[in-house]
Amino acid sequence: MPNSTSRWLWHGLAVAVLAVFGASLYIASKRIDYTWRWERIPQYLISTEGEEQKAPFDGFVAVSEDGKQLSMTALRSSETTSFTDFSRVLVGNGDLVFEGDVLAKKDQLGPGPLLIGLWLTLKISALSLVFALVLGLVVGLGRVSKNPAARDLAAFYVEVIRGTPLLVQIFIVYFFIGTVLQLSAFAAGVVALSVFTGAYVAEIVRAGIEAVPKGQVEAAQSLGLSGFQTMRHVILPQATRRVLPPLAGQSINLIKDSSLVSVMALTDLTKAGREVVSSTFSPFEVWFVVALMYLLLTGVLSIAVRRLEKRFAAQG
Amino acid sequence: MSTPVLIEARSIEKRYPNGVLGLKRASLSVQAGEVVVIVGPSGSGKSTLLRTFNGLESITGGEIVVDGHVLHQRSADLRSLRQRVGMVFQQFNLFPHLTVLENLSLAPVKVLKLSAAAADERARALLVKVGLSDKCDCYPSQLSGGQQQRVAIARALAMQPAVMLFDEPTSALDPEMVGEVLEVMKQLATEGMTMCVVTHEMGFARAVADRVIFMDAGEILCEDPPSAFFDAPKHERLKTFLRQIL
Repeated sequence: MPNSTSRWLWHGLAVAVLAVFGASLYIASKRIDYTWRWERIPQYLISTEGEEQKAPFDGFVAVSEDGKQLSMTALRSSETTSFTDFSRVLVGNGDLVFEGDVLAKKDQLGPGPLLIGLWLTLKISALSLVFALVLGLVVGLGRVSKNPAARDLAAFYVEVIRGTPLLVQIFIVYFFIGTVLQLSAFAAGVVALSVFTGAYVAEIVRAGIEAVPKGQVEAAQSLGLSGFQTMRHVILPQATRRVLPPLAGQSINLIKDSSLVSVMALTDLTKAGREVVSSTFSPFEVWFVVALMYLLLTGVLSIAVRRLEKRFAAQG
Repeated sequence: MSTPVLIEARSIEKRYPNGVLGLKRASLSVQAGEVVVIVGPSGSGKSTLLRTFNGLESITGGEIVVDGHVLHQRSADLRSLRQRVGMVFQQFNLFPHLTVLENLSLAPVKVLKLSAAAADERARALLVKVGLSDKCDCYPSQLSGGQQQRVAIARALAMQPAVMLFDEPTSALDPEMVGEVLEVMKQLATEGMTMCVVTHEMGFARAVADRVIFMDAGEILCEDPPSAFFDAPKHERLKTFLRQIL
């Protein structure tokens, strides 16, 4: 089949272009004075550092011969104490240690800062998405309402939010509203992101409702359905199918926009990335990894939405 | 005992916001059990007139009383009126996200508060009547135009209306599907359903109508029994119209 052969040729060309692009990136990075240290990255994804055992007072340490037990005698009193819950001893037998010194560590697998940041990004995005959908639905209904006050208020909200940068909104929510209402940074982040995304969701909802043919409303009303019943049983179910693709796009935007909350005292994935950069001095590797992690989140979401769309499309 | 008048329209007027008159002093009364067919050139206000009978189109003058509901008042209870008036549209307007059965039972359950089982039973009986009992679980998009329109008729009947309005029910259909829809309508007429039909199907008008009404430029120009209407048209404009279409 010549047709399918030429199709694969074109796919091959795409791969070749990407390969050339990757190679030139590699060559470019060779020409600058930068040492790649990919081996430093994994420990920030998965940490092995566990609990630390610290000296409760100044004194001398004694380590048992098998290294399984650690005991301490106080310097200025007869107080003694011992530890067993550790896997690595950091001091030697007979050492003099002071209060707060780390004596031993317990090795324990756990999420590193990047994974913890990813989790916060996921949490803040998911929570904001839920609020944004509710807010967007209400405001979207307000946009198409017969009541002029509802229409005005909805239009005002949408215009103000879409006309100002998210970063500025985050500062306003964090510094002004957050201070007045005593919001935590996390709550302020959720508020800022939901209010911002809600405005876009409202426009999507409005467009979805307006795209339902007028005949559907007339048919529903002719059957005696009330305005609410028409909305609930006839318009919204049909609008849902139409709004799914743009809502998916907006949710992906929300995940990406959530990186801006890192300007508040919130350690999301982006903030975690910045912290890891400052401790590794490997900005290139870290930002590539962070980008990949965002891509993972948004990729999973768009696959999920495509599944959902297929299911909706099945009903003719 | 005289038969009750179901639709009484007295010199109704419809003026659009741009000043155009859609209906001019149109008067019409329809008695229970009557089949009234409205014909006329496109843009003559046939559909507009029909749509005023269930409040889909508001009027700017005159009076309409349908099944005891006074429509021209601001406080008109359109919802309870519409439960008594079935409407069939040119474009079917079935609910595409619901199955055929769900299309039929939605309003009986939500508006008449029928139990799901009772609405289901009623819906199935109506689908048998329109010859689509095997399509219960299909979605509208899986049906032909003629089948969709028959479902739409059944959907309107599921509310057990006192009068049925048909707004060009066969105009959007392929020619070979017109017959099956008209057949269902004829059967309804035989059963004594009160019907107002806007259509271009002159054969149907001649065979089924008790009265045929001719409209032009928003006015009702004449109304006659079909024999007089078609065989001995009195009005000049009706003569021209009949010459053009027959």
